[in-house]
Amino acid sequence: MQGVFAQTTPAHALKNVTIHHADGSTTESATIVWRNGVIEAIGINAAIPFDAFEIDGGDSLHVYPGFIDGFSTLGSPSLPKSQDLPKLDDPGNPPYYRSGVQPERKPSELLTEDKNFEAIMKVGFTTAALYPDGYMLPGQVEAFYLSSSHNNVGLIKGPLGLAGSFDTAPGGWSSGAYPSTLMGVMAKFRQVMFDATALQQHIKYYEQNPEMPAPDRDRVLEAMFPLVNNSTPLFFEVDSKEHIERILKIQDEFGFNVVIVSGKEAYAKADELKRRNIPVLAGIDFTDMPKWYAEMKKEEEKDEAEVEQEEEAAEEEEISEEEQNYREKQLEAWKAEVTNIKKLMDSGVSVGFSSAGLELKDLSAKIEILLDEGGLTETDLVTLMSANTANILGLNRTHGSLERGKNASFSVFDKAMTEEKAKVLHSISNGIIHEFNGN
Amino acid sequence: MTKLITLCLILAFSTTAYAQEKGSVLIQNATVITVTNGDLEETDVLIRDGVIREIGKDLNAPRGVETVDATGKFVMPGIIDAHSHLNGVDINEARNPVTAEVTMEESVDPNEVGIYHALAGGATTIHLMHGSANVIGGQGETLKLRYGVSQEEMKFENAKRTIKFALGENPTRVHGQGNGVQPRTRMGVEQVVRGHFDEALDYKRKREAYLEAKAQYDRRGRGTPPVPVAENLRYEVLNDIIEGEIFVHCHSYRADEILMLMRVFNDYGIENYTFQHANEAFKVANELAKNGAMTSVFSDWWAYKFEVYYSTAYNASILNANGVVNSINSDNDQLLRTLNHEAAKVVRYGDTSVNDAIKMITLHPAIQLGIDDRVGSIEEGKHGDVVVWDGHPLSIYSKAEMTFVDGTKYFDLANDPDDMRIQINPGTDFDDGSNFRKIVDNRDEDACIQDTFILLQDQAQTHAHN
Repeated sequence: MQGVFAQTTPAHALKNVTIHHADGSTTESATIVWRNGVIEAIGINAAIPFDAFEIDGGDSLHVYPGFIDGFSTLGSPSLPKSQDLPKLDDPGNPPYYRSGVQPERKPSELLTEDKNFEAIMKVGFTTAALYPDGYMLPGQVEAFYLSSSHNNVGLIKGPLGLAGSFDTAPGGWSSGAYPSTLMGVMAKFRQVMFDATALQQHIKYYEQNPEMPAPDRDRVLEAMFPLVNNSTPLFFEVDSKEHIERILKIQDEFGFNVVIVSGKEAYAKADELKRRNIPVLAGIDFTDMPKWYAEMKKEEEKDEAEVEQEEEAAEEEEISEEEQNYREKQLEAWKAEVTNIKKLMDSGVSVGFSSAGLELKDLSAKIEILLDEGGLTETDLVTLMSANTANILGLNRTHGSLERGKNASFSVFDKAMTEEKAKVLHSISNGIIHEFNGN
Repeated sequence: MTKLITLCLILAFSTTAYAQEKGSVLIQNATVITVTNGDLEETDVLIRDGVIREIGKDLNAPRGVETVDATGKFVMPGIIDAHSHLNGVDINEARNPVTAEVTMEESVDPNEVGIYHALAGGATTIHLMHGSANVIGGQGETLKLRYGVSQEEMKFENAKRTIKFALGENPTRVHGQGNGVQPRTRMGVEQVVRGHFDEALDYKRKREAYLEAKAQYDRRGRGTPPVPVAENLRYEVLNDIIEGEIFVHCHSYRADEILMLMRVFNDYGIENYTFQHANEAFKVANELAKNGAMTSVFSDWWAYKFEVYYSTAYNASILNANGVVNSINSDNDQLLRTLNHEAAKVVRYGDTSVNDAIKMITLHPAIQLGIDDRVGSIEEGKHGDVVVWDGHPLSIYSKAEMTFVDGTKYFDLANDPDDMRIQINPGTDFDDGSNFRKIVDNRDEDACIQDTFILLQDQAQTHAHN
């Protein structure tokens, strides 16, 4: 799937563009030169080599470091429907795949066509950490260069870690299996770790002493060895404060590193996450703004003349004290959600971005909320989606910022990305240009 | 804009969670129902830093300690419910007949507003139990109703570990009839228990032998290494039961199956156990007493399935009169709020003494949960889990006015806001959000079979609610 994509021209140069750096600074009338997927020169005075294919931005285009989706099932084969799973003879002892334990699965071996590969590039993403869709241990997390065709989505880096969640085993009415509850998932997770520990010990002993009984090799358990040995992190998708506490408890028992994914209520555990040096690949799939609050904001944006006119037309809405109290609680809960990332950043927790189930069509609306209500600046946002995410994924040597020597992964917008109706015209991923022409 | 500013100010100052704390209070001039030392008239109770320090007359409030004038009122130990599913995230891990490895400790929802409702009924401790779908279900968790704290802070510190067993129709329906695995019959239930205990003992021998051989091999670095025996969570817990570290609470109804389990437990040397529901326990009260077995029953609820037809409202009184440590439990979030009435029924039906009836919702459940050295009565040195009632707690007209846990007031009738939810979903509109909890449920089934209806599809189709 991966190949050398040097097209016909050995180097590319994009000139007369505004570059938005991951640290928030901008360079106007800048040039960016890349070859074989690597940035050769960047800045106002970057020299354009003689062999470069030149693109003139005409001083109106904006270049951003390629955004990185820190945790996504993009390109994953879809899961069988629960009701299609056959009934098990002994649902208490299901095969691993039926209990949701599939740590051996690698997205690089499973990627399938997904129209969202192109869609996500059209909103500024060039890079993503992918894992296969599944249940409690759905598979490994690997980093990829994006491309509009899944055949060209290239592996950057092998296992970054294992994916995990508190999802129960699949199955419907008659086809369900153990574990079917949160407490069951926690117990099953531990048992898998114990079984992997024993198998690893057996393999080690057998290598030293071939006269002993041979171990039963098992690719599922063997895929758990890096976690048993604390040599790889567990990317754990979890939202509520209580669930975060639960995964921290398991972390205490086994000692591996954890990356919190989605983490809607991570702010409530910010100090502890900071203390444990646990990063968060935060999701932004916020609950919709309470309707009354949205209306109130709209009212406030109107000028006074309009308000007066309307007051004549409609009576002021009267609400009960009970409803007023409810609204206060509701707004408090909503604000807590949308300020999660800001609070984590302020507490010194390393925060990156993950789409974590977000529908792409909602992305711009959620980003707007993040900027308007979530306390984030545009700089925070760019940093979050590029440099911070690259750091958490361990891709910061090649990705996450626009510098000489870094991978040529960036997006060219027709205006600053936070402006209304900003569009990606070109997405450059690993040096390959994908043209969208604003469609 | 002013609206917004006002809102923001309110948000800045509103606090929805209490910090967990050990409180201090002096309750003055009450009738103190001590449970272990009779009722003391015109008596004060001083709680300092969460512990009852002094019980007596005309006590002085230490500096900074709040006083409560309870003249004409009653002070009783906080009610303890030995059988609750109040705030479980899940109740039944029902996909295997034995799930000793799962624990309700990991299924606690600390934000359930029902906790506050229970406090309003004078309850301070619950035994959060796994359901009864499995012969050997999950471990229980004893919780103090410290509403507003984290799941960890709700735990009753150093309470005895417990586990749920279940006999009779529930496990045979779910597993035998629902899934075609053992047990399909009451005989099968016994064999599942015995079989798993034997496997667990076998595991223990093998695991210990492995660890010993491993230590030797790793030390010497020669010889033949042992084949590893993986740690097994389920068998570890079963061994803990056999070794007496875990109290068993067994869902049961019929006298014959109660006798059966006592025989099994005698064979394995298991001593601390309580039969839950135990509607036919009165038939074998002598045998229970002789074995030191305990019971936790309903006051007067039965006939919700075939095995619960032969029942009597005298069950609790008969057990009590025969020296069985018996408690009255709720197994229901609504009944949990009125367990004092359930205790009163025992006096009404079986003429049990008022103090013995009160024991059934205080000291006796405490014994069954292994926490009677700390709660269950009003004694110096015990936890400050007390309730101020405006009249005698067994009167139908009495209300809990204040409920203290560890000396901290978690319920105050005089300051009882309408909406005590800690957590709301911001996506819920007022119209839907105001009707936030159905408090009164129909009691068509024992609550401990919840989450398992999907496994009873054949039955569910023919007898929807029996």
